[in-house]
Amino acid sequence: MIVSRNWIERYVGLDGIEDSAVEHALTMVGFEVEGVTRKGLPPLDNIVVGEVVSHDKHPNADRLSVCQVRVDDGNPRTIVCGAKNFADGDHVIVALPGAVLPGDFEIKVSKLRGVESQGMMCSERELGLGDDHAGIAVLADRPEIGTPVNEVFDAGDTLFDIEITPNRPDALSQTGIARELAAWFKRDLVYPDIRVNLLAGPGGHLIESVVSETEENCPHYRGYAIRGVKIGPSPRWLKTALESIGLRPVNNVVDATNFVLHELGQPLHAFDVRKIRGGRIIVRQARKGECITTLDEKKRTLDPGMMVIADAERSLVVAGVMGSVDAEVDDTTTDIFLESAYFNPSSVRRTARTLGLSTDSSYRFERGVDPRGAEFAALRCIDLIVELAGGEALGPPLVAGEPPFTEREIDLSTDWVRGCLGFDISDEDMAAHLASLELDVRETTDDNDRPLLRVGIPTFRLDLYRPIDLVEEILRLHGTDKVPPAEVRTHGLLAEDDPLVVFNRRVASLLIGRGYQEVAHYSLRDGVELKKWYGHCAEDSLALTNPLASDASHLRPSLIPGLLDCFAFNQARLNPLAPVFETGRVFREYDGKVFEMLSIAFALPREGAGGWLRREPVDFHAVARVAQDIFQQAGVSVDPARFEPVSGDSIWQEGHAARFGGFKMGFEAAFGVLSLNMTSQWDLRTPVCAGAVYFTPEYLKREPRRRRYQPFSAFPPATRDLALVVPVGTSAGHVRTELQRVARQAAKSTGIEVESVDVFDVYQGKGIPADAKSLAFSIVFRSAGRTLTDKEVNPVFDAIQAKIIEGTGYAVRK
Amino acid sequence: MESDLQQILADVEEALPAIESKAQFEQYKATVVGPNGKFTAATKTIGKLPPAERPGAGKLINEYKTRLQARFDEALRRLDSAELAAKVGPPVDVTLPSPDHGPGGAHLVSQVREEICSILRKIGFVVADGPEAETEYFCFDALNTPKDHPARDLHDTYYIHPETRFGNVSRKGGERFLLRTHTSSVQIRTMLEQPPPLRIIAPGRCFRRDTADATHSANFHQIEALYVDKGVTVRDLKADLDYLFRSLLGPDAETRFRPHYFSYTEPSFEVDFRSAHLGKVGSEWMEIMGCGMVDPAVFAEVGYDPEVWTGYAFGLGIERIAMTLYGIDDIRYLYQNDFRFLRQFA
Repeated sequence: MIVSRNWIERYVGLDGIEDSAVEHALTMVGFEVEGVTRKGLPPLDNIVVGEVVSHDKHPNADRLSVCQVRVDDGNPRTIVCGAKNFADGDHVIVALPGAVLPGDFEIKVSKLRGVESQGMMCSERELGLGDDHAGIAVLADRPEIGTPVNEVFDAGDTLFDIEITPNRPDALSQTGIARELAAWFKRDLVYPDIRVNLLAGPGGHLIESVVSETEENCPHYRGYAIRGVKIGPSPRWLKTALESIGLRPVNNVVDATNFVLHELGQPLHAFDVRKIRGGRIIVRQARKGECITTLDEKKRTLDPGMMVIADAERSLVVAGVMGSVDAEVDDTTTDIFLESAYFNPSSVRRTARTLGLSTDSSYRFERGVDPRGAEFAALRCIDLIVELAGGEALGPPLVAGEPPFTEREIDLSTDWVRGCLGFDISDEDMAAHLASLELDVRETTDDNDRPLLRVGIPTFRLDLYRPIDLVEEILRLHGTDKVPPAEVRTHGLLAEDDPLVVFNRRVASLLIGRGYQEVAHYSLRDGVELKKWYGHCAEDSLALTNPLASDASHLRPSLIPGLLDCFAFNQARLNPLAPVFETGRVFREYDGKVFEMLSIAFALPREGAGGWLRREPVDFHAVARVAQDIFQQAGVSVDPARFEPVSGDSIWQEGHAARFGGFKMGFEAAFGVLSLNMTSQWDLRTPVCAGAVYFTPEYLKREPRRRRYQPFSAFPPATRDLALVVPVGTSAGHVRTELQRVARQAAKSTGIEVESVDVFDVYQGKGIPADAKSLAFSIVFRSAGRTLTDKEVNPVFDAIQAKIIEGTGYAVRK
Repeated sequence: MESDLQQILADVEEALPAIESKAQFEQYKATVVGPNGKFTAATKTIGKLPPAERPGAGKLINEYKTRLQARFDEALRRLDSAELAAKVGPPVDVTLPSPDHGPGGAHLVSQVREEICSILRKIGFVVADGPEAETEYFCFDALNTPKDHPARDLHDTYYIHPETRFGNVSRKGGERFLLRTHTSSVQIRTMLEQPPPLRIIAPGRCFRRDTADATHSANFHQIEALYVDKGVTVRDLKADLDYLFRSLLGPDAETRFRPHYFSYTEPSFEVDFRSAHLGKVGSEWMEIMGCGMVDPAVFAEVGYDPEVWTGYAFGLGIERIAMTLYGIDDIRYLYQNDFRFLRQFA
């Protein structure tokens, strides 16, 4: 909202208070100042009215003239001037040496092309008066020579653009802000005088009746009759006031209603009585399909959720929002019906929102006008109309309903206030602060004889209901800058960070330590992309109701597309690709329900790093390692034998990717080489190795288990190598699991432990059938109590070899 | 005789440096001190000398034997280290840049988040967590937001498809699912789960239906703080924020409270800061966050007795702090992921 300093000074004297102090005051009472604009002429010294006595061409410059200008009774001064828009005898504005023009431009005696100039004739722009810079300002009304420029032009104005929080509808007017400044500066606030005495009028009405058929939405409606007005332009002062806050003057009657709206915050509406059909004003809900052409010349279809002001035949105004062309005051209007009402905020809000139409009026009704403010505003407006347009108010208004009852008192313990604030403010200061806001403060005591302020809340303060609300009022006016500094009071609460957060930190440091750069992408993705790559998600379950853009219409089920975006972006910028990771929330569907999960995804270009030295390409096993390490941070032990190869998947390249876990376990992962279709869709020149790991929050929050120490043997191991020739499609994990099982069984009850079974070589080629491969395992035996001898180990190893061949079709490679 | 020995020693001294392998060395050594070596031959001549000269000759031979052995030992040491060095290859040009990927690093938003969490942990806050997909109850109702507050509009808040059912985001009733507009919803979930007193910070991602520009982003990150105890005052709030901003921005940082309005705090403030340390930017008051004393209505909603418990809450935008601290002028850089940007903070 724009606040005009000139306007508010009608109600509160701000003499001696600089604009910057007003700005500070507004800020400190809670109205953020978004801009300060100075309009018109600032106070200027050494700038006076002068008369051009004569002018000649400059001897050395075609475009300049050398003028003789009289500014006092003495000799004319020589002034060099570039403008051409004046004649001898014109009165102009002369800045004398020593003057400082807006923009800190100081005028000095100086030589221009060899001719000494003893001042400057000014344009409007140079004075800060306007934008006219076509020539110097020529004063048509010829003020007396030597008159200081500030006496020639109106004083300027300062406009403060302020933000008013939704809890303060009482501040949505010039008097509302004046009230706050009066309270801050502890100055008097003067409301406009009411001159009209309706009881002294001739009496009678211009229409027959006013009815509210929708009392909940319009509890209170007043209609005043003014007869015999003459529509015409508003006087200068009124136009200036309206223009200062960005309004366009229309005519004296409309301007008067607008002025009062912005003066007091109460919207008013003036009807041309001739246009009210049937002599009745009815406040009702609109009929289905009813149409109205609002003053912005748009035809609008109404619905029964909207309230209108109607006559006997048709609706004339969308209540509280905007009038229609049908009841508009025009140049020929003579009789006025003036509406001043209290409308239910949510009704107006709903209507304005449905119509997509926000006006100064709807904005105030939506937030809540003073329920008892209608009468005062109407009287003020009648005074202005009679003053500006003549005519007379007939008498007391037609009234429907009553203002809602909002009077209340709050008992405030001053000790309690100090307890909330944590520092001292005296009872007297508290009372003074509240009283300065026009709250009705009485000092009393409670049952324990402790001081109490009994505070009556004026009807315009819709935000004050509870003692805590008054604490804010006291603090605002005391000054939040006076909260004294203090030590941090702290004691431990003996709690630990959320396990998700702890886990996230650990994973991030793991990956950063491995050379991965963390990246961050938006959580919203394109629905088309989702369908293409994550088609298994039901199309709608991740959709937003109200996306802003089609490329941000769905929740992300995976971080992988973001990582590809990152590679594509950096590739386009010719930045060498490097390993990246992201952690964040993703949304995945299982059995028809969406689960919010924590995901960690990482990716790196398959081509190894390089530069002057090429590195080996990265493969599946490298990313499988990273995935395993991430799981380890979550306390999940990973046996690669349980990895399942991925096939027939849109995201992962068949034969080069695996899955692990499952939603029911609380975690899952896929990793390997990304489908080449996918990487080429992103125009990436290199295949990408990646992994995506998912955890349910519930899994990460499970109770941590402390591990028990396992004793380990002090004796050396005995190792036996065993190469098995197996069908080429058999997975090493499967064979290893089987071999381990067989080995443990064979060693059982021998006192020998099979410590580990590990693959150490995979071979295909010479000496092996084409449809087979050789897997070489090393089996480590150990005993807790002694050094093993061949005599002990060999029979076990022989048993293992015999057993593993049995029934599997594997052969031992000699 | 001595001249023979001298000659042998000179020959050895000349030959050894040219020898490049141990095999060659052994071969050569045999030609000197092996059974048929020249030195061995020379020592044998001792028997032919008159007995009186023998002790002198013996002494001489021993002396040369020691000297030869020293030469051989030295050569062998040289060959041993050359053999070891061969295992690590030829010498490298140490001025070549590493051909491996550059260092990993945390994203700036993560760094600033962790910095703030660490500052606040020192004064007893612990990190709490809550879902990004929220419901109207936790995001608005429980925070005392009026039913028809504009923040709830489809225009300002992202809602999730009405048919979507969440498996692990709880609802109060049948209210709508949405993307949380602030981390304040974590306050509610935490208070419903834990009895007072508590002191939590909740960093996390938030969403507002804004068109992206230099200062707006479809998602951004906040850190919410909630402190509930007996006798928490406005002065405590100010003291703790002063501590936070001095820790972040240096000892000359100042904060200013401006009265403001949030539905879930009363009184409410916006906080401005300034800090000479930030140079020109730091000389003017800059809005940085919102805060206030927890509104009694919020306590009542979660079942904390407002007559007993008091508290404060504040929420700050991580991106905003990051941009201020590092002088970044466009929030979109934080989501663009240009390596040249990200690595500046690695």
